[in-house]
Amino acid sequence: MENKKTRHKGRFSQTFIYLGKLFRMFVFQNDWKVLPMAAIIAGLVCYVIGANLFKTMEGTAMGTFAVSCICIWNGFFNSIQVVCRERAIVKREHRSGLHISSYIMAHMIYQAFLCLCQTLITLIVFRVTNVTFPEKSLVTGWSVIDIGITVFLVTYCADMMALMISSLVHSTTTAMTIMPFLLIFQLVFSGGFFSLEGFAMKITDFTITKWGLRALCTQGDYNSLPMVAIWSSLIKMENLEILGVKPIHEIAKFIYGNEDYLNAFTLGCGSLNQKPEYAFSLESLLQCWGFLLLFIIIYASIAVISLELIDRDRR
Amino acid sequence: MFDIIINVMVTVSWIFTSVGTYGIFRKCGVKWYYCFIPFAREYHIGLCADREKEGRIYMVLSVLYDVLNVVNTFFGEGTVPNKVFSILILAIATGVAIYGIRVYLGLCRIFNRSKKWLFMWIFFEGITSVIWGFNKSFMPSKQVETIDRNAGAKVAGINAKVMDMGLTVNITERTAIDLFRKKILLKDIHLNIPLGHMVLLLGGSGAGKTTFVNAVTGYEKADAKILLNGKDLYADYGKMKYDIGFVPQQDLMRGNDTVALTLSDAASLRLPASVSYDERKGRIQDVLEEFGLASIKGSLVEKLSGGQRKRLSIAMEFISNPSLFILDEPDSGLDGVVARGLFEKLRAIADTGKIVIVITHTPDRVIDLFDDVIVLAKDASRTGRLAYYGPVKGSYEFFGKESMEGVLLSINQKDEGGEGKADEYVGKYSEKLKEKVG
Repeated sequence: MENKKTRHKGRFSQTFIYLGKLFRMFVFQNDWKVLPMAAIIAGLVCYVIGANLFKTMEGTAMGTFAVSCICIWNGFFNSIQVVCRERAIVKREHRSGLHISSYIMAHMIYQAFLCLCQTLITLIVFRVTNVTFPEKSLVTGWSVIDIGITVFLVTYCADMMALMISSLVHSTTTAMTIMPFLLIFQLVFSGGFFSLEGFAMKITDFTITKWGLRALCTQGDYNSLPMVAIWSSLIKMENLEILGVKPIHEIAKFIYGNEDYLNAFTLGCGSLNQKPEYAFSLESLLQCWGFLLLFIIIYASIAVISLELIDRDRR
Repeated sequence: MFDIIINVMVTVSWIFTSVGTYGIFRKCGVKWYYCFIPFAREYHIGLCADREKEGRIYMVLSVLYDVLNVVNTFFGEGTVPNKVFSILILAIATGVAIYGIRVYLGLCRIFNRSKKWLFMWIFFEGITSVIWGFNKSFMPSKQVETIDRNAGAKVAGINAKVMDMGLTVNITERTAIDLFRKKILLKDIHLNIPLGHMVLLLGGSGAGKTTFVNAVTGYEKADAKILLNGKDLYADYGKMKYDIGFVPQQDLMRGNDTVALTLSDAASLRLPASVSYDERKGRIQDVLEEFGLASIKGSLVEKLSGGQRKRLSIAMEFISNPSLFILDEPDSGLDGVVARGLFEKLRAIADTGKIVIVITHTPDRVIDLFDDVIVLAKDASRTGRLAYYGPVKGSYEFFGKESMEGVLLSINQKDEGGEGKADEYVGKYSEKLKEKVG
């Protein structure tokens, strides 16, 4: 009876209290601005790399890397300041009975909503700017939805990493100082765009970009795409003379005259440069999604643990 | 051969530096053996330079630098980890150099020497430290403050009698570990506050007011027994925290929420789950009216005036009807009239049978509203002690002063512009307690 009298709102109810606060902030404060920002960034990326995305190996490698980057950028900006800017308030509320897990859960739900909106906006921008989506799908039957899931997971994973940083640091200045380092780390150690070896390659296993890039290339059926870089180089070197003859001109003339030859050449180049990790397989895709989900859980857990110690903050 | 010469030079420099630092530490009043303990030396040089914070960071960075160097020896030269660690070492070395410069500039200031000596410290550390340590013309203008733990008034150790209703505080000690020393923040504080009393918590800077409040509310547990209405606060903190309202100095609320929603969320968090929706709504409306916030309930918090914001902050804690109400400088930033109104409100809350404890730096303008005063003072060992607890009028007699400002002046240290009589009054109050108990 005594216990019943003194029971207070549990974790579930508290989550909804904070969710209400966050959505009010979305409407009345400036949180909504991340959505048009996502549209502008996606538009810029499509303008630069959209034409060859999912069409050629080079275009896909570059394009999926750019897509991963915008996801990371969006995710980081969504939540890098959300906890640290109100740390003192959270401390007061924690002392008044706030469950940190509820607080983080509310943020996770709210951020999932933001990331979902950003994913939808990005996909709409892709469609509007005539980005060609792959014809085949591995999971849902619609490649646009499969790619949407990957874009969402990468954005959300970056968002959770930023939420973790925001929970660990004590000021917005520190958070904004750390963010560029994390961004650069994610870009450099994506494992797909820059060639890395040995220990450096092992580090890439811990980056969001690696699994995002791999998932997008898998979904884009990277290994069956033509490689045009060698053909482009041949064209540039067409007039190169070796001992009075132009051997490359002869080859180029042979291939250029027949579209079937050209297709066979670029596809042949592609087949010789396949990457086993980008194989068009459900297993490979699920592995990427699995790692992203694992990161999300780890980041959220660290955020909860670090904030549980908030009472130790010095005055 | 070259490596051997370098190693010999480094070793000789280390020995010279240690010996020289021994002399500097003795001159500055630091325990001499720290000069031979790696990293502790960096911290204590910071203390000698009167730059404790910089010394602390200098020590941490030095630890990091050496640890990374040791780890880096395990990687083959030219490997990726070796390169990564080398970059990290370079980054840390920059920090070590900057903090070293800050510390040694501080040392130049304390020893009244030109900043040019900094170059000697950087390039000839061993010889320079020997000169500074053993040349009698190099003397510090200030010694490192050493705290004698046995200094200060004697401990009374008389526990306050447990009250069935009211707050019983029996703090034996509240300590904190800080790097190389254990600090006693509070000691020997025993008192009873009956329900319905409004109590002023008075004390100079660093006397332990916030530490006392944190210990009483259970936020930072001390070696203590705190009983609220007969229940052990520390043993049952999870449930009892709802019976305590603590209003912080800053108005910690979200500016983009409305007054009503801020209060509604506070009610949802603090009121028991068994309270129905209608009851909660009614309670919110009552509190809004009681604190004069009903007319602005739709306004955003960021649009409120300082006084309105403070009232909302208090209302957030009051919503759960706590028995113990503690406010940290609720009148900061408020003018006299608004502050008076606020304290009258607090008096009214106390009159409903609650305990209200208030920290304020301008008590004299509202002192007539208080029943009792707790005076905390920093004794000779820099520990917060109880110098007086009792009625306001009694405190004037006890300290021989006519205002709370006068009381504060008498207990503050001389270097803070006070009379430095803290130990005298702590001892006097202790004797008074002993007489009372018999």
